[in-house]
Amino acid sequence: MWKLLRKHISASQLVGFSIASLIGLTIVILAVQFYQDVKPVFSDEESFIKKDYLIVTRRVSTAGTLLGGKNEFSPEAVADIQSQPWCRKVGKFSSNDYGLYATVSVSGVGQSMGTMLFFESIPTEFIDVDSRDWKFDPSRPEVPVIMSRDYLTLYNFGFAASQGLPQLSEGIVSKVPIQFTLRGNGLNETINGRIVGFSNRLNTIVVPEQFMQWSNKRYGSGLERNPSRLIVEVNSPGDVKIQRYLDDHGYQVAGDKMQQGKSQYFLNLVVTIVIIVGIIISLLSFFVLMLSIYLLLQKNTRKLQDLLLLGYSPAQVSRTYIGMVVAINVAVLVVAIVVMLVARLCYLPDLKALGATGGTVTVAIVVAIVIMSLITAGNILAIRRKIAALWLHGA
Amino acid sequence: MNVITLHNTLPAVFAGRGETGSEIWLREVAFEKGKRYLISAESGTGKSSLCSYLYGYRNDYSGTMAFDGCDIRALSVEQWCEIRTHHIAYLAQDMRLFGELTAIENIELKNSITHHKTRGQILEMMEQLGVAEKAGSLVSKLSIGQQQRVALVRTLCQPCDFILLDEPVSHLDEHNNKVVAQIVAQEAQRQGAAIISTSVGNNVKITVDKEFRL
Repeated sequence: MWKLLRKHISASQLVGFSIASLIGLTIVILAVQFYQDVKPVFSDEESFIKKDYLIVTRRVSTAGTLLGGKNEFSPEAVADIQSQPWCRKVGKFSSNDYGLYATVSVSGVGQSMGTMLFFESIPTEFIDVDSRDWKFDPSRPEVPVIMSRDYLTLYNFGFAASQGLPQLSEGIVSKVPIQFTLRGNGLNETINGRIVGFSNRLNTIVVPEQFMQWSNKRYGSGLERNPSRLIVEVNSPGDVKIQRYLDDHGYQVAGDKMQQGKSQYFLNLVVTIVIIVGIIISLLSFFVLMLSIYLLLQKNTRKLQDLLLLGYSPAQVSRTYIGMVVAINVAVLVVAIVVMLVARLCYLPDLKALGATGGTVTVAIVVAIVIMSLITAGNILAIRRKIAALWLHGA
Repeated sequence: MNVITLHNTLPAVFAGRGETGSEIWLREVAFEKGKRYLISAESGTGKSSLCSYLYGYRNDYSGTMAFDGCDIRALSVEQWCEIRTHHIAYLAQDMRLFGELTAIENIELKNSITHHKTRGQILEMMEQLGVAEKAGSLVSKLSIGQQQRVALVRTLCQPCDFILLDEPVSHLDEHNNKVVAQIVAQEAQRQGAAIISTSVGNNVKITVDKEFRL
């Protein structure tokens, strides 16, 4: 039967389809793969606060300073942020409402250094640190502290260098016991503390919320204060809607969150565009194949009808063409995956230099298989219908 | 399948013509298994149409045709495939051979789905019909008469209850006509099948139980 039906099969049309299909499929899966590989660069999992958190403050204006305006977030403002579609969760920064003095004893020298200090806290769910350390027990008071890495940098390269003091590593600093003296409500107590982590992104000194509540109750005035900083978990930090909202309300975001978010947003946008282009090419190639098959069936109409008259079922007759289409599509699928993997090998060293470890290839391969299965299913359906339509001859 | 009945049937193209004078159209007709029928007709009286209706590849007629009382319009594609390979052996007037295949390949194409004849039996039939030496030739290179004989061999490569022949000997000489008649009669006898043959004048040389004028 193959000998009979292969006539009129146009090699050039099939090659044309195969190439178009290959290009389309390769673009789609390469884009998917690239996205998988690049994504880890943007979602810096090691960072203290994950990428989709924004730290929002009000813009401090000169007028505000002169007139003594408060840069706080009212409960209404918080609720309004909470109600935005891009907002998943809002956490309030609380700060200490009492006097705080920190002292570090430098052992062996018998000297000690001290400074006025402040604490802030945010709900634990916004904190990504070893939970064993991140707790506070009032019966055995010891305060774990997370400090901005910038502070250590400022000390090491700004202060220590100019004053002839020793530079400190993170490891050493973490081992140094700190005494916090808390004053208020007529109390003057000293509690030991320890630095349990450094944050690149959280530009403050953070203590557990339990400690903040306990200490504010014990030493503070007891007045409820509005937060001056918020931490917001968002769907996509680069979303232009967020930027517009922040601008409209005179808020600003600490650090490079929005910038990084923007890069991620553009990456998403570009990848989406590339995937759409790939899908369009795939769709076009699908129609080229359909057209080619229709033409082939049209040219072979008489033969196909004669085969049906001999008692061959439409399914048997279709099988030849379906076999051909499946063979081509499987070949295209395999080649596309190979091309994708080779291309990946070419760009991966560059990405690794940028700190990406490379994502999984499973997603891209699954996408390729799904797309090709859909295309093949479409082809098979069309062949079946076309051949079924040959059953009755015109009068 | 034992009986084919026609009830008041008429090709759509003849609709509205009134009385046709036909013994088939607009009549009650029954073809029974085991008997032999000749349908003689002039050109353009719907002879090939009748065959195409009975073989299920056209249905532009009014009235009812039935196999064993079952309206053939209701038959599924699967049922038609079964009929075409096991119940009705059909030789079309235009033979419908594949010119790009050899004579034997054409025959094998049918026999490969029915497995009815051995290679030896096929070659023997071809021998009787004088086309054995053409077995390996492309059908497009054969004369019409040779093609007709190859097509006949192909038609007989299946089990059947009815052998439906549309002008089977239109291109054959007296001698080959006799051989065809003999082979067809033998095959029909062996299977207990009916023969329904059409003709525009050059009848296949078999004795018939009934002749219809179309």
